[in-house]
Amino acid sequence: MQREDKAALTGLRILDLADEKASFCTKLLGDLGAEVIKVERPGGDKSRAMGPFWGNTPHPEKSLSFWHNNTSKLGITLNLDSEEGQNIFRRLAQRTDVIVESFPPGYLDKLGLSYQTLSEPNPGLIVASVTAFGQSGPYREYHSCDIVAAAVGGQMYVCGAPDTPPLKPGGEQAYYLASLFGAIGILLALRQRKQSGRGQHIDVSLQEAVASALEHVMVRHYYEGIVSRRQGSRHWNNSFCLLPGKDGYILLSPFMQWETLVELLDNEGMAADLKDEKWREERYRTQNLDYIIQILERWTITHTTAELFELGQLMRLPWAPVASPAEVANSPQLNARNFFVSVAYPEDNISLTYPGAPYKFSRTPWKIQQRAPLIGEHNTWVYAQELGFSQEELDGLAARKVI
Amino acid sequence: MLVDALHGVRVLDFTWVLAGPYATRVLADFGAEVIKVQSEKTSQGAEYNTSGYFNTWNRNKLSITLDLNRPEGRELALKLVGMSDVVIENYTPRVMANWNLSYEHLKQVKPDIIMLSMSGMGQEGPWRDFAAFGPTIQALSGLTYLTSFTPDKPIGLGYSYADHVAGLLAALSILAALEYRDRTGDGQYIDISEYEAMCTLLGPAIMDYTVNHNYVMPQGNRPDYASAAPYGCYPCQGDDRWCVIAVFNEEEWHALCRVLGNPPWTKEERFSHLTQRVKHANELDELLGQWTAQHSPEEIMERLQNAGIAAGVVKNARDVAQDPQLAAKNFFAEVLHPVLGKTTFDTTPIRLNSTPGRFQRAAPLLGQDNRYVYRELLGVSEHELSSYIEDGIIG
Repeated sequence: MQREDKAALTGLRILDLADEKASFCTKLLGDLGAEVIKVERPGGDKSRAMGPFWGNTPHPEKSLSFWHNNTSKLGITLNLDSEEGQNIFRRLAQRTDVIVESFPPGYLDKLGLSYQTLSEPNPGLIVASVTAFGQSGPYREYHSCDIVAAAVGGQMYVCGAPDTPPLKPGGEQAYYLASLFGAIGILLALRQRKQSGRGQHIDVSLQEAVASALEHVMVRHYYEGIVSRRQGSRHWNNSFCLLPGKDGYILLSPFMQWETLVELLDNEGMAADLKDEKWREERYRTQNLDYIIQILERWTITHTTAELFELGQLMRLPWAPVASPAEVANSPQLNARNFFVSVAYPEDNISLTYPGAPYKFSRTPWKIQQRAPLIGEHNTWVYAQELGFSQEELDGLAARKVI
Repeated sequence: MLVDALHGVRVLDFTWVLAGPYATRVLADFGAEVIKVQSEKTSQGAEYNTSGYFNTWNRNKLSITLDLNRPEGRELALKLVGMSDVVIENYTPRVMANWNLSYEHLKQVKPDIIMLSMSGMGQEGPWRDFAAFGPTIQALSGLTYLTSFTPDKPIGLGYSYADHVAGLLAALSILAALEYRDRTGDGQYIDISEYEAMCTLLGPAIMDYTVNHNYVMPQGNRPDYASAAPYGCYPCQGDDRWCVIAVFNEEEWHALCRVLGNPPWTKEERFSHLTQRVKHANELDELLGQWTAQHSPEEIMERLQNAGIAAGVVKNARDVAQDPQLAAKNFFAEVLHPVLGKTTFDTTPIRLNSTPGRFQRAAPLLGQDNRYVYRELLGVSEHELSSYIEDGIIG
């Protein structure tokens, strides 16, 4: 299918067998110009059951999660559990550069579709497997999902307040992290292939993906023997905290530019005793942070978060309001940079607003090639044009529920 | 023997703290020659060469010193650009331009250079000069708001997660630009806003507003987008011990009931199928929590996993360091550091089977590779090098 020829990854063909754990992986590559063919089981992938739904009505063709994670892909259906389906898949795999899958370890093996088998006729093939715990090790057959990955990867334990249970970060971050690592792995393998002519297998685990994005947690453990604990809305080293304003919460830095901060409060007669000499000493401030926060809170509550944001940023303080998704959508900065993009749904004669590019390329623009595919939308194109099936054969495959 | 994926790729690295160094760490792990440009002045805090943070985020890299505030220093920098494939920086916008090291300058020296700038807000827009750290980005992007039990009291992650996200997207975009350059011979400029990067990982929640105009609520430990119950974090035996359990379908529910010994409450109408369980999730959590509280999280994880249910221990740093799965996969590596001695850091979740990442090299000492880079790569004479050092240009 004709692709943007100025895109970074033009000419790269990917088969996407992944569910919600890794469908974002191939979206990243598709939006950079790769040709991604999503292979779903007949009736559609189970990730189409993920909410939220367009118009708030659950329906496999209205999942916003599916829509978001599957832009720039073509969609075909194929029953991999049938022998006929497996044979068709082998033919597709011979004409592809990359396969991304998220089945339990050993599943594709059992179907005779392992990396080893598929790469025999196509040595350049790259297969990326995104799984719960990886392809080997004692937990390899264990199940996972977003919250389990956040727990076993060490992220949840440090999130939440001392008086609440550990808290899972919002937005299924484990799946997105694993997808990012997978996409990087694919481009690394692709570059290696230029030198060796051979592809390779990439093993990404949700647990490791989460454990790789813990900032201070493991460093502090290994170098200082400290086990970080959750401390509510305060940053682990107390350099930030959330305080209430008139109309919401503001992120404040209680330690940076101390004199500027005290001056801001003092201008409004709200510095209390913070002007006293003893507070100039950083150690004293660290020891009495709760008191400082009390004074700050008395001040922030008299202002809107917009006022505090402006005031702080004027002083080069890294403050920010705690924005809801609605406020994100209305952000002057994001809108000035045309972050949001319009994605056409020609069959409904509408366009919907999507979050846009995570990066701006000067020469090879990121672009959503088209909306996520409908179930089996490109069956005819792929099976007839690419593999040369006749209409009669296609009808037969459909009747036997292979496609 | 197979060559590393990024063999022959040279990266001139002007990044600091976390987001930028995390991006170049990925490249260095897989064979790129990453030359980190430092100075006495910048080598502080997280950039202090013999700190644990520095060792973790800057392993596998080379370090040179160079004073970019001096014209001679900038001339040397441009010469290094001439021998590099990629230049990456995460200063606030204008810093590189003030040094005459903007993309426009760089491509005059090296027409096919790939340059990446990452900043909090991006290189343009009304907020471009705003001060932003990881927590700032998390607050603005909606992540902090969505990470909470109630919209009235946001909690957030408590650490700079967004820096990791931006770093990974930076690494990915550099690899994509390299692919394009290999194919066409053209380099380019990449502008990453950490704000935008974080927003792309909250896509469905943001779309629920842009498409449906729903006011999206934080979900606490309930699934963000999936339909599942029970699903959450439950108290266990011991001090601050917790487990998570996620049940997505009837088969898993029945398996859970069997592990629990089929107590009568599991037979009640209000828990009879998924929609009912989702509706009565609070009551379900309460009852399940009474059971979990009598067991250790390890026991629960093992028993439920053996029954085919997604469950896990809420692991703290010590648990993660001792995790049997991570240990079996050698996820943490021990490396000897010339000053710190035996050190440990995480390796990578990107496991390439034939050209895996390498993790034998600790982070460099300040200016450790000055001789190699200036003498061998750049061909500066012994005499010139001495005078650069004497003048404090290479310090």
